[in-house]
Amino acid sequence: MSPELTFRKMLYKISALALLVASGLVAQTSVPAKVTADLPAGPMQAKATTACLECHEARIILQQRLSKPAWTKEVDKMAKWGAVVDPADRDALIDYLSTNFSPDKPAYEPQRTAVEKKGSAPKNY
Amino acid sequence: MKSRREFLKQMSRAALLAGAAPSMLTWALPQEQSVPFPGEEVMLLRSFRFVDLESPVEYFDTWLTPVPHFFVRNHMYEPSELDANDWRLSLGGEVEKPLTLNRTELEKFETHSVVNTLECAGNGRSLQRPQVPGIQWGKGAVGTARFAGPRLRDILQRAGIKPAGKHVMFRGLDEVPGKVPPFIRSIPIEKALDPDTLIATHMNGSPLTKHHGFPARALVPGWVGAASCKWLTEIKVLDSEFVGNFMNPGYRLPNQPVKPGDTVKPEDTHPLTALSVKSVIAGPSDGAKLKAGKVTVHGAAWAGEADIVKVEISADGGASWSPAKLAHDQSHYAWRLWSYDCKIGKAGEHTIQSRATDSQGHTQPATPVWNPSGYLYNAVDQVKIYVS
Repeated sequence: MSPELTFRKMLYKISALALLVASGLVAQTSVPAKVTADLPAGPMQAKATTACLECHEARIILQQRLSKPAWTKEVDKMAKWGAVVDPADRDALIDYLSTNFSPDKPAYEPQRTAVEKKGSAPKNY
Repeated sequence: MKSRREFLKQMSRAALLAGAAPSMLTWALPQEQSVPFPGEEVMLLRSFRFVDLESPVEYFDTWLTPVPHFFVRNHMYEPSELDANDWRLSLGGEVEKPLTLNRTELEKFETHSVVNTLECAGNGRSLQRPQVPGIQWGKGAVGTARFAGPRLRDILQRAGIKPAGKHVMFRGLDEVPGKVPPFIRSIPIEKALDPDTLIATHMNGSPLTKHHGFPARALVPGWVGAASCKWLTEIKVLDSEFVGNFMNPGYRLPNQPVKPGDTVKPEDTHPLTALSVKSVIAGPSDGAKLKAGKVTVHGAAWAGEADIVKVEISADGGASWSPAKLAHDQSHYAWRLWSYDCKIGKAGEHTIQSRATDSQGHTQPATPVWNPSGYLYNAVDQVKIYVS
């Protein structure tokens, strides 16, 4: 993991926490809102998390409904673009993605962004 | 799940309409349903880290889309550090006198404004079958705003275009993860010199927000959103189309119609330019439960560089079509709002469809035209309603 990306992740956590504090949600709920989602459980969850979520979040994957050939193309493209996939794990990663996110799965239901409190939005957003 | 979502949707709408304390809504929404996102309200969250937000179609009831409800499409990270005082826009390549402009110098150019419907080329991708990879937009990666700023033409002419200059490249300050190719694209010189092509600094009367490209973005009216590069920092005049991932193989259409699921060779494709004719039903919502009687169907229709001449509605599954009333507000590159009152007396499920026709004679197809990246989905729109 590059130091820049580690720093970026830290920034996301800090900014997410800041948003929660600003909106008063920390005090109001026992479970803090997660701004990013997780990949589903499975033998490749940890390795997929490392390979894919270094650059983008799980939602990019969760919303796809692709065949195995299409997932194969995506995994190979992403490896070319910097995803760290051990060649020994490539097939298992493709299986994991094409099992969990195949065309026959129900459509992805996106979350919505919240309605803001008046005056809570920083300038230039 | 559906009814819960409907309930939440209705609640959020009611709260907005009534001006009720928005914090109450935040309280009421379960945590897994709502994600804090400053400046972007009640948007469908396609991605948080690369910001990708879709407008719910029920917001397509105003000619100009309010910025907090305007879709956001980013291919990568937004600039982490962007100081307006340090920002510079350089112009080079096939020009006589390369320029570098700061914000004050940019503001000295004459300002021009264009009301433009901006749509992501992948809008509607989730409706393609077979499914294709990419952000799985529903119907809401589109919006209309009044963009303002200097004409690109004026800036190019100050630098002086050499005869070899045939394309104009835009580079933004997007931050690239891993070894992903940078988001750089180009447009032909003819479109760059169009008096309505802008270096936009304002949107709906206010400076661009960060999500929309502050402090300046290209605005290529009538064309796919990807042409309108955000956080613009470099313009380069080239002798040929820019060579890079987001020009080829990205953002291209097959030269000939292909069968759904077919593979297409890059040499059999061409770059996307103008948007296609399209209409979307903003209300009633898909799945709405209504009482028998008058139902007002309304929505928006747009056609890139062409004008909308007709929107027709069918309430009987496409057997018969009636013209909708086009709203007064119009501008060359902007959508037209439309509405149609129909009477539905019979209880049960009804399919309402909308179909637009443009000034070039193009009409929305009854079935989607498939392509490997799911671009320019523009099939006849439809919603199902339940009448009691």
